[in-house]
Amino acid sequence: MASTLRPYLTCIRNTLDAAMCLQNFPCQEVERHNKPEIELKSSPELLLNPVLICRNESEKCLIETSINSLRISLKVKQADELENILTKKFLRFLSMRAEAFQVLRRKPVQGYDISFLITNYHCEEMQKHKLIDFIVQFMEDIDKEISELKMSVNTRGRLVATEFLKQFI
Amino acid sequence: MHRESFPCSESDPAQIIQCQACEPQVAYLSISTPPLCPGILTSNKLSSYTIELIKRLCPGVVEIAEATREGYQLTLRLNLTKIPRRNDYVKVIKEISTVHSVILSSQLKEILWNFNSDDAIKGMHKPIKLAYNPREPFFVIRQPPRIIAVFPIRFAEKSDVIISTAFFQELVDVGSLDKYTKAPPCSWSAIPPPELRGEAFEDLSTNGGFVSFDISAHHVDGKRLDKTVWNLLNFNAYVRFHVKTTKGFIQRRMRKRLENLVEVLHHTESEQDNEQITRHHGCSCTKGLLVKSSKYNILKQRWGNLGRKLKRIHFRVKIQGFGRFRQRWLRLPKFSSSRGYTKLG
Repeated sequence: MASTLRPYLTCIRNTLDAAMCLQNFPCQEVERHNKPEIELKSSPELLLNPVLICRNESEKCLIETSINSLRISLKVKQADELENILTKKFLRFLSMRAEAFQVLRRKPVQGYDISFLITNYHCEEMQKHKLIDFIVQFMEDIDKEISELKMSVNTRGRLVATEFLKQFI
Repeated sequence: MHRESFPCSESDPAQIIQCQACEPQVAYLSISTPPLCPGILTSNKLSSYTIELIKRLCPGVVEIAEATREGYQLTLRLNLTKIPRRNDYVKVIKEISTVHSVILSSQLKEILWNFNSDDAIKGMHKPIKLAYNPREPFFVIRQPPRIIAVFPIRFAEKSDVIISTAFFQELVDVGSLDKYTKAPPCSWSAIPPPELRGEAFEDLSTNGGFVSFDISAHHVDGKRLDKTVWNLLNFNAYVRFHVKTTKGFIQRRMRKRLENLVEVLHHTESEQDNEQITRHHGCSCTKGLLVKSSKYNILKQRWGNLGRKLKRIHFRVKIQGFGRFRQRWLRLPKFSSSRGYTKLG
């Protein structure tokens, strides 16, 4: 499994590097408005082809690009029910605090666990390669954190079970 | 004679404390509990074994009153003067507060001892439904030489069910180790065990499965009986407490992880930021900055370099007054930080 992780992340990194060429583009529909076109999807000429990168059936990354914004949606692997609830809890926890991350979307795109929305303003304020590093590092950290959480929950359960059974001895 | 009565708990009016003005150092504690097993223990009166156990609780402080308050099974006379004032008073009060659980646990002990022999002869081992907590009943089935205790598990939330299922799997794993051969063997199943066939549907409909313990004679022998009975009666509460604390642990860990993840964004280290960051007047908040672009700094630096170069240009032909003209009219604009301010005057 670890052998497919590096190529998966490298592919995502290269795709983001190519896709993150954003520029300011005022809204064509409404005067004096400036909206992320990837969210509106009202003008097809401003949208690029979305790219779907799949590591396996359960892990994938969807990168949708437009002229002034980029949306990255991630589906995290969930091997069993415990990982499922831990992933849902953790990513929902992060999404509710999206303002701390700036580029995080409050609600993930349907069919995915977490989504990022990067606009041209973010690219002006932040360094592009640092943003890409952050996204890739985030993916690695999420996987690592879910695994550690699951291990901690099982370890706690084991300790509690041991203490319960000790009382009978 | 002035009397005042106080329920011990609003949610559980089965216990009531009564005080009399003429005897300020004496309090009466009246207790009424539904039987642990309504099908077996039909009488509302407490057995002699239960009464003996209660008498052993703080003999000097607690006495069983001869006249039981109407509507209650037992009335205890508490002599408040006999409660020690110093360190031991907590222990005494704790013992008094366990009266309710002593009554219920003694009923379970009697059930385990005085199983209906007719059923044993006929080979029918009917499950006995016990309701220590009315919402969480469990079953005891006597199959000589063992007694099986079956706990139907129910939770309101799906996440609780999953956490508890992980816990039960660990319980089964730990129970199978050599170190814990003396502990009662434990098993978990998602479907009702065969011993519960024929029971009511509402008792068998669960979302957390069924946990079974095989209690042998070894576990109800002598002093171990109290521990075994206590563990069985409080197993559901134990599981719920573990689920609750696990959820709290997950929440704490997520908060800590959030801080670490956000810290990455606040990291200002960059390849091109080798030059010294000059402090700007005004609000110099370098802490809490985003991953800032140094394009601004690069442009500023280049403009400054250009300006210095222009200043160093030596004109071959010296024109008098040109220096002042250059200083006044050919000065390059200074870039100021949006956070700073320009001194007027």
